[in-house]
Amino acid sequence: MRWGYPALEFKVGRVGAALLAFCCALLLPAGALAQSADEIREGKVCANCHAGAVAIWGGKHGTKTDSRTPMGIVGCATCHGDPTAHLKSPSNPMPNRFSKMAAAETSSTCMSCHQGRSRMHWPGSTHDRNDVSCVSCHKVHAVHDRMRDKLTQADACVACHKEMRPLLNRPSRHPIREGLVACSDCHNPHGSVGPSMVIRDSVNDTCYSCHMEKRGPFVRTHQPVQENCAICHNPHGTTAANLLRHRQPFLCQQCHEPTSHRGNIASLTGTSTSANTLARGCLNCHTNIHGTNNPADLSNERTFRR
Amino acid sequence: MKRASSFKLSGIAIALAAAFGPAWAVEPIAPQNIDPAAPASLHTDAGVASVGIGYTPDDGRRFGQYNGINEDGFYGLIDLNWVRRNDETGTWTRFFGRNVGLEDRQLRFEQQRQGNWGYSIDYSRVPRFEPLIANTAVVGIGSANLAIPTTLTTGGPIELKTKREILGLGFEKYFAGNWDVQVSFRNEEKDGTRIFARGTTGAGPAPSFGSFEFAPEPINASTRQLEAKVNYNGGALLLTGGYYGTMYDNKFDGGLNFTGGLGALSTFTPIGLPPDNQSHQFYVSGNYGFSPTTRGTFKLAYGRITQDAQFILPPAAGIPGNLDGRIDTKLAQFGITARPMPKLSLVGDFRIEDRDDKTPVRDYFVTTTSTTSNGENEPRSIKTTAAKAEANYALPEGFRIIGGLGYEEKKRNISAVRVVSARETTEETSWRVELRRPMSETVTGSVSFTHSDRDGSPFLTTTTSTGLVGSNLIAPIFLADRTRDKVRVTVNWQPTNPFSVQLVADRARDDYSGRDGSSLGPRTGEASFLSLDAAYTFSERWQANAWYSRSDTSLDHSACEGATGSPAACPGTAADPIWAASLRNLSNSFGLGTRGKLTGQIEIGVDFSYSDIKDENHLDTIAGGPVTSLPDISTKLTRLNLFARYALQKNSGVRLDLIFDRFETDDWTWPTWVYADGTRLTESPTQKVSFLGVSYYYKF
Repeated sequence: MRWGYPALEFKVGRVGAALLAFCCALLLPAGALAQSADEIREGKVCANCHAGAVAIWGGKHGTKTDSRTPMGIVGCATCHGDPTAHLKSPSNPMPNRFSKMAAAETSSTCMSCHQGRSRMHWPGSTHDRNDVSCVSCHKVHAVHDRMRDKLTQADACVACHKEMRPLLNRPSRHPIREGLVACSDCHNPHGSVGPSMVIRDSVNDTCYSCHMEKRGPFVRTHQPVQENCAICHNPHGTTAANLLRHRQPFLCQQCHEPTSHRGNIASLTGTSTSANTLARGCLNCHTNIHGTNNPADLSNERTFRR
Repeated sequence: MKRASSFKLSGIAIALAAAFGPAWAVEPIAPQNIDPAAPASLHTDAGVASVGIGYTPDDGRRFGQYNGINEDGFYGLIDLNWVRRNDETGTWTRFFGRNVGLEDRQLRFEQQRQGNWGYSIDYSRVPRFEPLIANTAVVGIGSANLAIPTTLTTGGPIELKTKREILGLGFEKYFAGNWDVQVSFRNEEKDGTRIFARGTTGAGPAPSFGSFEFAPEPINASTRQLEAKVNYNGGALLLTGGYYGTMYDNKFDGGLNFTGGLGALSTFTPIGLPPDNQSHQFYVSGNYGFSPTTRGTFKLAYGRITQDAQFILPPAAGIPGNLDGRIDTKLAQFGITARPMPKLSLVGDFRIEDRDDKTPVRDYFVTTTSTTSNGENEPRSIKTTAAKAEANYALPEGFRIIGGLGYEEKKRNISAVRVVSARETTEETSWRVELRRPMSETVTGSVSFTHSDRDGSPFLTTTTSTGLVGSNLIAPIFLADRTRDKVRVTVNWQPTNPFSVQLVADRARDDYSGRDGSSLGPRTGEASFLSLDAAYTFSERWQANAWYSRSDTSLDHSACEGATGSPAACPGTAADPIWAASLRNLSNSFGLGTRGKLTGQIEIGVDFSYSDIKDENHLDTIAGGPVTSLPDISTKLTRLNLFARYALQKNSGVRLDLIFDRFETDDWTWPTWVYADGTRLTESPTQKVSFLGVSYYYKF
C-alpha cells in the first residue's frame, strides 16, 4: 500500500527481532540450519550468495548498536521481508524485491524509518508523484552514498534532468561541477513547500541564503527583484553574464516602456544611452539594479544609479 | 532470454550515471580524489590519503575560475578521507579533506553516536576568479574609496576575485519518546571585488563609449545562518518546529566613495552598497497519516525581514536616518495524498504566502516638476495563493494515466507613480495529462502535455508624479497574459541486458498578449530540447557511454525608439523605428566516456565532452528603420579528461590525470569597450589548458 509502510511490520523491537530470527532458523534448509539466529539476523547467511550487498555493513545501515537500523532490527529482512521461503529455495523470491516494486512501495519501505525531518513533505512531492523512489537516487548498500557528496550528486540529478546537463557547463554558472555547490543546496529532492522543491519557502528566500545582500528591503526597490529572482536569472547556467536569461538591453526591454532611451535599438557602436549592449548594458548607469538604500535625490533616484 | 528484472524510468538514468560518473561535466580536480567509497569499504576503521602534484603550462582563466588553477605552474593535490566506526558504541568519526592544496579546499570533521548524538565542523572556500582581466588605473580597488582618473589613462592588469570562507557547525541529539533536536550554524566571510561601474548620460573622451567609469565593488561582508529544529516522530504524526535566522553584515556599509573622474559624474558619490539586514522565521511543519492510504502534510511559518542600516547620506529634513524596513511573511500550506482505490492515487495541495512589506512610506525628497518619482519609497507586498490537484490511475499493461490541475494567483501592491506598467493581480491556471509506463521489461517512458493560461486584472497605466499618463505600450514579461503549451516525451529502452538507451524530448511555446492596441513587448517564446543517452557494458571490466543533447530556446519581442506623448506613441520613423528582436540560444553538446580495468592493477578512464553554443540576436525593422542585427556569439567548450590508476600494492598506488580544456568565444560584450577612465576588460578569446596531475594514494 502506498502509505502502508510494510516494513513497519518488522520494526517491532528487539523481542520481535529475536522471535523472527528464531522462526526463520526453524524454517531454514539443512545447510542454513547450521547458522545461528544471530548470523541470519546479521545477514551472514544472505552474504553467502549476495556478496555485492555486504557493503551495507560498512555504512550507517550496518551499525548494529543503533536499534533503528536494519542490522539493529532483523537484518536484511527488515527491508526485504521474511526470508523463510527464499531460504528454503532461492527460486522463491524475497517478498520485497525492489527491482520489481513500484516506486511508491519502495519509498514506503524506506519511509518506514526515514519519514519526517527533511522528508516531511515527501508525500505528494514532485518526485513522489513521478515514480521516483528513494533507490532511484540513493545506493542503499553502498558505504558512501554519492547523493551525499557534492562532487557526485549532480551526476545523479542530471541523469533524469537532462535539460540541466548543457546548462551546468555554460560560461556563466554556479560552481557545481567543482563540487562547491550541489543541487541540494537549493533544492530539497524529498519535497518542500516552495516551488520547484526549493529548500526555502520561495525562490527568493532560497537565493537569499547565499545572496543576502540582494534581500533589502531597500529605499528604492525593483519590483521583479522582490517578486522572483528567476524572472531575470536562470540559476542553472547561461551564456550571458551573471546568469541572466538574456543580454541587455533585451532583458530590460521585456518590461520597460520605450520612452526616453529605453527603447533604443541594441547596438555595438553607440555612445551614451545608445551604449546599451556592450559591457554591463543598461547597468552601465543603473548599477544598483537589485535596489539601493541611498535616499538622496539625484535626477530621479528611483533609477538605481546610486 | 531477456534479463529478469524490470526497471523504472529513473532507474536506467541512474545506472548510466553510476557507471560513468560525471560525463556531463568533467571536473579537472575531481578525478584526483580517490574514490571516497574506497577507504571505508567493509572496514570500520579505514582511510585513504592522496598526495600529489599538478602542473599546467598554460594560463586558463575559465578553467580555473572556481579552483584557482588559472595560471601556469605547480599545484598541490591533497585529499584525505578517514572513517572510523566503533562497533561497540556505534560511534562514527570522520575526517574529510578535498582539494586541500587548492583554493577551493574543503575540510570536515564529524563525530556521531548513531541514533544518539552527533556534531560536525566544516570549513570550505568558494573562490571565484573573474575571467576578465581589468586593465585599469583606478586606485583603491578593494576599498570603499576609489580614485578615478580624470582622463583616459592606461592602467596595469588587475585580477578581480572574490572568496567565500565558510565555517559550518552542526549538532543533533536524540531523546527518548521519539524526539530529537538539530542545530546548524553557518558563518560566511566574503571578501574581494566584483565588476561594478557608475555612469550617466553624455559623452566621454574618445574612444570611450560615454560617461561610464569603472568602479569595482568591494563585497566584504559576513553572513550568518542559524537554524534550530525540534523533530517528533510519532509514527502516524510527524512534527518539526524550528527557528531559522539569517544576518547580513556589510563591512562597507558607508557606500562607495569617489574622487576624481568626470565632471558629469561628480555628484555620483557615494553610491549605495548593500545595507545590513536580518531575517527571522519560526515555523512548524507536520505530516499525519489519517489511514494507511491517506496522509496529510502542512507547514505554517511566520517570518520577518528587517533592515535599519544607517543611510549613507542624510535624507530630507524630518526623515529618520534609516529605512525602518520590515517585511512580514506568513505562510500556510496543506497537502493530502490518498489512494481511495488500489488503482487510483490522488494528490491535493494548497499554499498561501503573504509577504507584507510594512516598511513605512516616507517622502525622501521633494519633487517640483513632473517626474517618474514622487520621492517616496515603494514597499513591495505580494500575496501568492496556489493550489494543485492530481489524479493517477493504473491502466492495464503497466500504464498509468495522470491528470492534474493547477492554479496560482499573485496580488501585489502598486505604487502611485509608475514607470512600468503594473497589474495588481495575475492568475494562472494549468492542466496536464500524462500517459506513463513506469515499469516494464524493456521499454518505459511517458508522454505528457501541459497547458497553462495566465491573465489578470486590468493593467494600470504608468503615471508621473503630477498624474500625467505615461507610456503604456509594454506588458511586462512576468505580468503579461500568456498561454503556455508543453509536450514532453521520455523513453527508456533496454533491448539487451548490457545495452540501454534513453531519450528525452520536449517542446514548449509561450504566446504573450500585449497591451491593448500595442504590438510591442514579448510576443513568443519557444524551447525545444532533445537528449539521447546510450550505455553499453562490455564486461564487468569495461563500460562505455555516449550522449547527445540539443537545446534551442528563443524569444521574440519588439520595441520602439523615442516613444513620446501622453499617452506615448511610437514614431516609427527612420530616426526612431519600431523594431523587433529575435533572440535565440542554440546549443549542441555531446560526450563520450569509458571506464575499464586493463589488468588487476591498472584502471583507466576517458571522458570527452564538447559543446557548441550559439547566441543569435537578430533585429528587424517593423516600421521606419533601418535596423542592423547584432553578430551571433559562438561559444565552444571542449574537455578531454583521462585518468589511469596503477595499484602498486593492494592498499597503495599511483594515479595519473591528464586534462585538455579549450574555451573559445567571439563574445563582443567587452573587447571594444573602453571606460571613460581608460579601463578595458579583456579576456583571451581562445583559452587552451593542459593539466597533468600525478599523485600517490595510500589506504590505511
